[in-house]
Amino acid sequence: MKLLIVEDQTKTGHYLCQGLSEAGFATELAADGNTGQHLALTGDYDLLILDVMLPGRDGWQILQAVRAAGLEIPVLFLTARDAVEDRVHGLELGADDYLVKPFAFSELLARVRTLLRRGSSPAQETSLGLGDLRLDLIRRRVERSGQRIDLTAKEFALLELLLRRQGEVLPKSLIASQVWDMNFDSDTNVIEVAIRRLRLKIDDGHEYKLIHTVRGMGYVLEERSA
Amino acid sequence: MRRLSLGSRLALLFAACTAAVSLTAGVLFSRASESHFIELDQQLLNSRLSLLRQMLDGVHDPASLAPRLPALQTELSHQADLAVRIRGSDGQVWFDSQAGLPESPQVPGLSTLHSTSSDYRSLCVNLDDGHPQSAQLTLFLDITHHQHFLQRMQQLIWLTVGLSALATALLGAWAARSGLRPLRQMGEVASQVSARSLTTRLPEGQMPVELAELAQTVNAMLERLDDAFQRLSAFSADIAHELRTPLSNLLTHTQVTLTRPRDLDEYREALHSNLEELQWMAQLVNDMLYLAKADHGLLMPSRQHLVLEDEADALLEYYGPLAEEAGVLLRREGQASLDGDRNMLRRALSNLLDNALRFTPAGGEIRVSIERPEGRVRLQVANSGAPIDAALLPKLFDRFYRADPARREGSSEHAGLGLAITRSIVQAHGGSITAESSGGWTRFVIDLPRV
Repeated sequence: MKLLIVEDQTKTGHYLCQGLSEAGFATELAADGNTGQHLALTGDYDLLILDVMLPGRDGWQILQAVRAAGLEIPVLFLTARDAVEDRVHGLELGADDYLVKPFAFSELLARVRTLLRRGSSPAQETSLGLGDLRLDLIRRRVERSGQRIDLTAKEFALLELLLRRQGEVLPKSLIASQVWDMNFDSDTNVIEVAIRRLRLKIDDGHEYKLIHTVRGMGYVLEERSA
Repeated sequence: MRRLSLGSRLALLFAACTAAVSLTAGVLFSRASESHFIELDQQLLNSRLSLLRQMLDGVHDPASLAPRLPALQTELSHQADLAVRIRGSDGQVWFDSQAGLPESPQVPGLSTLHSTSSDYRSLCVNLDDGHPQSAQLTLFLDITHHQHFLQRMQQLIWLTVGLSALATALLGAWAARSGLRPLRQMGEVASQVSARSLTTRLPEGQMPVELAELAQTVNAMLERLDDAFQRLSAFSADIAHELRTPLSNLLTHTQVTLTRPRDLDEYREALHSNLEELQWMAQLVNDMLYLAKADHGLLMPSRQHLVLEDEADALLEYYGPLAEEAGVLLRREGQASLDGDRNMLRRALSNLLDNALRFTPAGGEIRVSIERPEGRVRLQVANSGAPIDAALLPKLFDRFYRADPARREGSSEHAGLGLAITRSIVQAHGGSITAESSGGWTRFVIDLPRV
């Protein structure tokens, strides 16, 4: 997966590149609008991350040029301004997502992965699993080491999300949005409690823990060799 | 073009009114005296006419006229302003009692004539009443002095009009000036108002009735400005204050960490700790930006049909585990629907629930009730717990206000913007929110229009 980042703030661009590369993406950085547009039109990218305010051409102009060239690459906007018109303008021009600074890197990473996944048709899985954990999507049943576990509807949805995106660190905001449809910044510890309860049912009494807290970032479901 | 001042405008209007009134009166008076003179002249001429007719009875031609002329002239000599002309039916003049009389009028009856130096009223009749072919008698009455009088009077009228208009203009200007003094006072007070002195007020009691209301409105506006300005300045001070603690934590912690080499875990720990402060600050900044947006009227709720009991249930389900751990019972009653922005209203309710959960003791209860008073929708979030002082209730919605002053500022807790955000959202939906505390319950009541 190859990403193009167009960001004129050197530090921001550098950190974004580093973070995304370490998350397993190939990244390229352009520091001004003209270079950015040239790269976007000639390189073969899977996703564009555009800052709105850029020297040369702004992010919207790049987006327009990209769409005019018939390229359907997903585009994620980063902006320091959060005026409604900006958001509407961006979405009208064909932006796929929109993040307002300051944002958490984990949030950006989760959105990038969501956008990249959007293109590929979701496989019609009937069950999900990791290690000895099995989740039956049709009968809506969960087993670990062959033992049936009773989950509430929301716990099931939460586990399904963690399993579908196993190995990815999911920020609390993303979990709140995907599982409970709460699409706003809320700093309640609701998610913490929900995860703790899920852990009690899934991991308690098992040698290998599957649900892990990544401090300050979010939660991840993965097998870790102890 | 610059508009005339109110004072000059009033003065001019006064002058125009006086001019119109005195002009009308003058014209009416001069008309009346003119017609009165005409009437007098006619009476005089008629009385002379009958006498002259007697004297000239039987005159058919210049020859028969001649013997009567001496008597006629004697008669006329008694009245200097009266002259007579006698003409044949063919229009030839038989006799003029004076030289320089004007042409006789063509039509019989009374008319007014002008000669080179004098004005006359003339009465033209047939000498013999029954005979259309008889000689014509024309009486001329010199009315020059009347006309002079009328002209003098007209001049007087114009003079009066001019002078009275001028006088009322001057007096009006003075009256307007003194009448408008309260307005000038208002202007003076207004000119003193600046960001530094929003406390100046207009003296409402000393204002005339017409201006008292305006003064009151202006004072109320100053009050609101003052209030908003106070809040704004307090807000900026609060922002700086709120950011100071996490910033100094970050600075100190980072510098201390860097003073000497440490092992990896210590660095990791330092970064984690910094991350927490930073996340708190980011949240604070985002909340403040949200409020700033609301302040600028940029919070534009979308309108979608919302079933409120479903929204409330979703939120209660979300908060369920948290409430259970806190030993608090969550309940919802009533139902209603309205058009509004789902995410915004969820956020508003979520802040209220979050707040309620924080202040409800274990074993307590939080109740969300939905009512439908006519045309409106009322959403109530009530929690059991210690009562809140009535004076503090309106302050709950102030930015950075914390009911519990002991709570450490800059902690990872709320910065105290949640309720302010809730209020902004409710207001963006055209509603209002109030807080009340009684009978062991604290209630937040949101009133929303249904559409």
